[in-house]
Amino acid sequence: MTRKNIVIILIFALLLVLPLVANGLNNSFLINMGTQFVIYALAAISLDLVLGYGAMVSFGHAAFFGLGGYVVGIVAYHMGMGETVFGWAGSESALVMWPLAMLAAALTGLVMGFLSLRTSGVQFIMITLAFAQMLYFVLVGLVTYGGDDGMSVTSRNLIPGVNMDDPSIFYYVCLALMTLWVVLCRRIVNSPFGMVLRGFQQNERRNVNLGYAPMRYKLTAFVISAAGAGLAGALWANYALYVSPDMASWLKSGTLMAMIVLGGMGTIYGSILGAAVYLGLEQALTAWTENWMLFLGPVLILVVLFSKRGLFGWLAGRNSHD
Amino acid sequence: MTEALQAATAPKLEIRHLRKAFGALVATNDVNIQVRPGEIHALIGPNGAGKTTLISQISGELMPDSGQVLLDGQDITRLPAHKRASVGLARSFQISQLYNDFTAEDNVALAVQAQSAKRFDMFSAARKQMDLREPARKALEQVGLAERGNLRVSELAHGEKRQLELAIALSLNASVLLLDEPMAGLGAEESQRMKDILLELKGQYAILLVEHDMDIVFALADRITVLVYGKPIFTGTPDEVRGNSDVRDAYLGREE
Repeated sequence: MTRKNIVIILIFALLLVLPLVANGLNNSFLINMGTQFVIYALAAISLDLVLGYGAMVSFGHAAFFGLGGYVVGIVAYHMGMGETVFGWAGSESALVMWPLAMLAAALTGLVMGFLSLRTSGVQFIMITLAFAQMLYFVLVGLVTYGGDDGMSVTSRNLIPGVNMDDPSIFYYVCLALMTLWVVLCRRIVNSPFGMVLRGFQQNERRNVNLGYAPMRYKLTAFVISAAGAGLAGALWANYALYVSPDMASWLKSGTLMAMIVLGGMGTIYGSILGAAVYLGLEQALTAWTENWMLFLGPVLILVVLFSKRGLFGWLAGRNSHD
Repeated sequence: MTEALQAATAPKLEIRHLRKAFGALVATNDVNIQVRPGEIHALIGPNGAGKTTLISQISGELMPDSGQVLLDGQDITRLPAHKRASVGLARSFQISQLYNDFTAEDNVALAVQAQSAKRFDMFSAARKQMDLREPARKALEQVGLAERGNLRVSELAHGEKRQLELAIALSLNASVLLLDEPMAGLGAEESQRMKDILLELKGQYAILLVEHDMDIVFALADRITVLVYGKPIFTGTPDEVRGNSDVRDAYLGREE
C-alpha cells in the first residue's frame, strides 16, 4: 500500500469515528465542528477542481456557496408563510432542495464562467471577484429575506427515514455527500477529460494546438465546481439554520482558497485537511485572541514554502496530484 | 520554378499572398509557398526572417492581415487554431511546448485522445485506455523514446524533449507537418538521429520544415524556399538554391 493511500484511509477513518468519539466524550461541540469541516471541505474540493487542476483561480466561489444557501433559505421562508414554491409539495425535501441549489449554482456558474473564461490570469481573478460581489450586494438588497442581517431557516430539509435533527446523523449525511463528491472529482481529474483540463493548466498553447477548445473544457469544469459549492451552501444553511450575505462575501472566497493552499492545491483530498486545519486553528486561536489571522498567516507561509502541495503533499508524498 | 511539375500534382498545403505586419515591421510580405504531397519543403532564412511567424499563421495562432492558407484546396485562413489539427495539420514548436508534469507517454496520449471519441470522457481512467496508450507507445518508439515513456517531461534531456515534440506531432493523424526547427539546440549526434527519423518520415507527409542547419536542409529537402525580411526571394531544389547568387548574397554566403 502506498503512503498516499494510507494517508487517505486515515483521513476517512478519522472522519468516520468522529461522532463515536464525540458521543463517547458527550461532547456535541465536536460533532458540530466536524460538520463544519466536512461542509467547507466540500466547497474547497469543488474550488480545487478548477483551481488546482485547471489553473482557474476563481475568487468568486463564495457566490455559489451563498447561492446554494439562499435557495434553501428562501424556499424555507415561503414554506414558513404557508406557501410552497410553484406549488411543489417537495419544498421541504432535501432530495428536491439540494439538487435545486446545485442547479441554481451551476446555471450561475455557466453564465459567470462563460463571461469570465474569456480572460485569464489576474483578469480572471478580478472578474470572478466582481461577479461574486455583485451577487453579494443583490443578497444584501433582498430586504424581504433579511437584507444585511440574513435570515434564519426554520427547519432542516427532510430525507425520508432519516432524522436530520440528530447532529450525528446530519454529520454522516454531510460526510456521505462530501465523500461522493471526492470520488466524483478524483474520477474526473484522472479521466481523459481531466487530462485535457490539466493540460490547459500546464501548457494551454500545446493543448489548443492539439485541437482542444479551451472554453468547452474549462467551462464544463467550472460548472461542476459551481454545483459542488452550491451543494455545500445548501448543507451549510441546513447546518447553521441561518443564511446571510456573508456566505457570498469575498472573505469567504478567500477562506476557501486559503484552505486549499493549506491542505494542498491540486490534490482534492488536501482540501479536507485544509478545511479541518483552518477551522480548527480558527476555533482554537479565537479562544484567546481575536487576531487569530496573525497566526494563520505564518502557518500558511510555512506550508507554501516547504511543500508544493500543502499538508497533503507533505504527508502523501510525490504522487499527491494524481 | 518548374511550372509543369506544379500543375501535375495539386499542392497539399498552399500559401497565397500571405501578409502580416506588426506596426511598421512587415513580418510576412506576400509569401507564396506550395507544399506538395510527400514533399519536404524547407524554409530557410536568416534570424528574424519571419519563419516562425509564418508557421504560426499556418497553424492558426496568428491571423494574417491578408492572403490565404489552403489545405487540400480548402481555405483555412480563418479557421480557429484548435480546429486545425482535425483537418490534418500538425505543428511542432521551436521551443518545446510540452506538459512538464505529465510523463512522456501522457503527453503523446493527449495528442492521440484529441482525435478520439473519448476526448470528453469524464469517468473512465485515462491512463488505462489502451486505445489511447498503444498508439502513444508506438509513436514514442518511432522517435526512439520507447524506454523513456514513463518519465516525466521535466526529467527528460533536451534532445529527448525534441523527439517527444515530434512524437506528439506524429500522433495527430495529420497529413501536413509544420516542423519549426526540430533540431534546435541539439548536439551533433542528436541532430543526426533526428535527421534519420525525418528521413524515415519522408514521403508519408507533406512537411514544411524550418531549419538552420544547412547540411540537414540540403540532405532532407525536396525544395527550399528562402525567406529574407519576410519575403521569399527564391524557391527551388537544393541544387538550384546552392547555385543561386541572390541566395548566396542574402544568406548562405554571409553566414558561412
